[in-house]
Amino acid sequence: MNAAATSSALLRFTHHELRLGWRDWSWLFSGRRNRTTRRALIGIAIFAAGLHLIAYLLLSQFFANGGQLDPIAMTLISVSVVLSFTMILSQAMESVTRAFYARDDLDLILSSPAPSRDLFLVRIAMMGLTSWIMSVMLTAPFLNVAAVLDGPGWLAGYLVMLAVSLLATGTAVLMTLALFRTVGAKRTRLIAQITAAVIGAAFLIGLQVVAIISYGSMSRFSLFNADFVAAYAPDADSAWWLPAHAVTGEGGPLLVVVFVALLFFIGAAYTGAVQFRRIVVSALGVSEQTRREKGTYRPFRMRSVEGALMHKEIKLIGRDPWLISQTLMQVLYLLPPAVMLWVSFGSGTDAAVIIAPVVVMAVGQLGGGLAWLTISGEDAPDLISTAPVDASARLRAKVKAVLAIVAVVVTPLTIALALASIWGAFVTFIGALMAACCAILVQLWFRAQANRAMFRRRQVASKASTLVEASASILCAGTTALVAAGQVLALLPAALLVIVMGIAWSIRPKTA
Amino acid sequence: MLSSGPTVSALEVRNLKKSFTEPAVDDLSLTIQSGEFYALLGPNGAGKTTTLRMVAGLLEADAGAVSICGIDTARDPIEAKRVLAWVPDEPMIYDKLTPLEYLEFVAGLWSLDPDFARFKADTLLEQFDLAPHANERCGGFSKGMRQKVALAGALIHEPRLIILDEPLTGLDAGSARQVKTVLTDLVAEGVTIIMTTHILEVAERMADRIGIIAKGKLIAEGTLTELQERASAGGLTLEDIFLEIVSGETQASALGGTATLVEGAVA
Repeated sequence: MNAAATSSALLRFTHHELRLGWRDWSWLFSGRRNRTTRRALIGIAIFAAGLHLIAYLLLSQFFANGGQLDPIAMTLISVSVVLSFTMILSQAMESVTRAFYARDDLDLILSSPAPSRDLFLVRIAMMGLTSWIMSVMLTAPFLNVAAVLDGPGWLAGYLVMLAVSLLATGTAVLMTLALFRTVGAKRTRLIAQITAAVIGAAFLIGLQVVAIISYGSMSRFSLFNADFVAAYAPDADSAWWLPAHAVTGEGGPLLVVVFVALLFFIGAAYTGAVQFRRIVVSALGVSEQTRREKGTYRPFRMRSVEGALMHKEIKLIGRDPWLISQTLMQVLYLLPPAVMLWVSFGSGTDAAVIIAPVVVMAVGQLGGGLAWLTISGEDAPDLISTAPVDASARLRAKVKAVLAIVAVVVTPLTIALALASIWGAFVTFIGALMAACCAILVQLWFRAQANRAMFRRRQVASKASTLVEASASILCAGTTALVAAGQVLALLPAALLVIVMGIAWSIRPKTA
Repeated sequence: MLSSGPTVSALEVRNLKKSFTEPAVDDLSLTIQSGEFYALLGPNGAGKTTTLRMVAGLLEADAGAVSICGIDTARDPIEAKRVLAWVPDEPMIYDKLTPLEYLEFVAGLWSLDPDFARFKADTLLEQFDLAPHANERCGGFSKGMRQKVALAGALIHEPRLIILDEPLTGLDAGSARQVKTVLTDLVAEGVTIIMTTHILEVAERMADRIGIIAKGKLIAEGTLTELQERASAGGLTLEDIFLEIVSGETQASALGGTATLVEGAVA
């Protein structure tokens, strides 16, 4: 392939990647299969306007009070940058892993005469760009409002976010390559996805755990006080502050941050691109062997019809690396309340009031995902439909599978909580059960059968069910917290929960 | 019960109707005897798959009745499903399960005796050359292998009526012959098979009777010889007959009528 043909192919591939990226975005914001640009743009505009309003409410007071960039403010900016880095890194690891294992066009890329190294370079660059756009979607409102209220220097934040995105994407590529070298093609996918989940949650959870240990508070913001910052923050001339200075528009730090990030990204992307073909070929050659379980394992044929169905759901969930990583993340979010429980051991009910809603929220989220996978997600619908099994038995088995997994997650925490407060543990367990049941009911009412691979897009498939699921989860958490505190006010979120579920039932699709 | 007389038909379809935006199946009636190999042919969009999905209970009919081995599917769908197997054109199996686990899972759904299920699973895995891959997850399998896993799953409960929608798609020559042999043996044992296919040579060689469907109607039915006799000239291949009948139907429809070769073919 001559140089002109190669650059033409790369240009077309870039266009193809941009189009795929845009379609993903328009899907997300239009929430429709037959996505339209107009609808997507309206969705993005509404989202951006809402975030600008929130940014204004948060920042206007700060700048009205003089907008001093004291150590606390600089710490907050630095923490935000690090948080963005971890979030983007988590997302980028997921994307890089998918680029190696799960892209449908890998055969096409590898068989095309265009150099696969260059094609993968384009793909990594697009990952960096997508990460930047995604992070800017969330940070731009704050930067724009700060620029309007305090001066255009804050717009440098856009460049800092680009640097952060490039750093995170480059790191993701290098980490995935390191995993391939150390654990091999077979295990990289699972470990990379779990690592991505842990990285995504670790920083926030770490802050929360430090806040609990230092101040006995679940609020991460309790760390941002003068004493703590003075005791632990680096010196004013430390390089750790460079990103924060860059965000505020200081030229020198901005240049350093962008230059270092760009250099690192080019190096990492090139290293990854060179090895792309070899890695993809070894990843495509991986076949997942399954050893026959021994000991107490009961094969499908030994189970009842319902038992076989339930066992199938649990087995499929257990073998889904992405789902395991998501579940692990939910479990990780339960870590701070566990630490809180440990720190405040002996104070009894107070700890339960704080912990219960967190547990219930996490269970609501987890239950929603699991309920979708078991009730709506089915890879062999024809087999299940033609089996001589009563429809109610099928649903019962699926519901039992969800509840069994939720029970495995929530029971240890309930037992730990019971050591501090029996009442608190009881209320938490009931609240968690309630949240899981609400999530299941929403899935039953809004069931839209789909392949399990559609899991990532389940939330854009039905806005109503997503909204109901989130509202029910919050209301369950609120009710549980108030009941744990012995407040009669618990009746209010409980009544709202009944109303929300009632509305959901009344607007459910007739075919469900 | 729809069936009458001493011999129970494997499948009786009476006046089946289904419309989406347009009629997909239009007053279709069909009778297939036990132990018969029946090929259902038709151009794309003729209503073959819609018909078979209604028979398998995967789609609700607007009107009409279906009876499988004398069991009215509307009255007793669970019992009807016990004797039925359905293999769709796209093999739907679980990527995260192994072939052995998949077969055992299907055996669980049909409540088979555990020992029999294990024996049958092992036999089918051997029969379809899947034994070396019995403990590999299906996710990495080729379409042909997936098709064989799906087919093995359909056979594990020893159904009396098997409905196959394009079962040979994606299979290599060796696997296709393997599947054809299995199907022929099953018919010899008294199992009834209904199959849709675009490979007319397969229908010509394997089917006892052939039905041709167009625009939701059964426009011709009979053995290959009967269809040859009804066509304009003798000695034609099934492909010639098929094209002649289907084009005749298209022309008749364009003129506002329906040419049908089903003259008393449905008992």
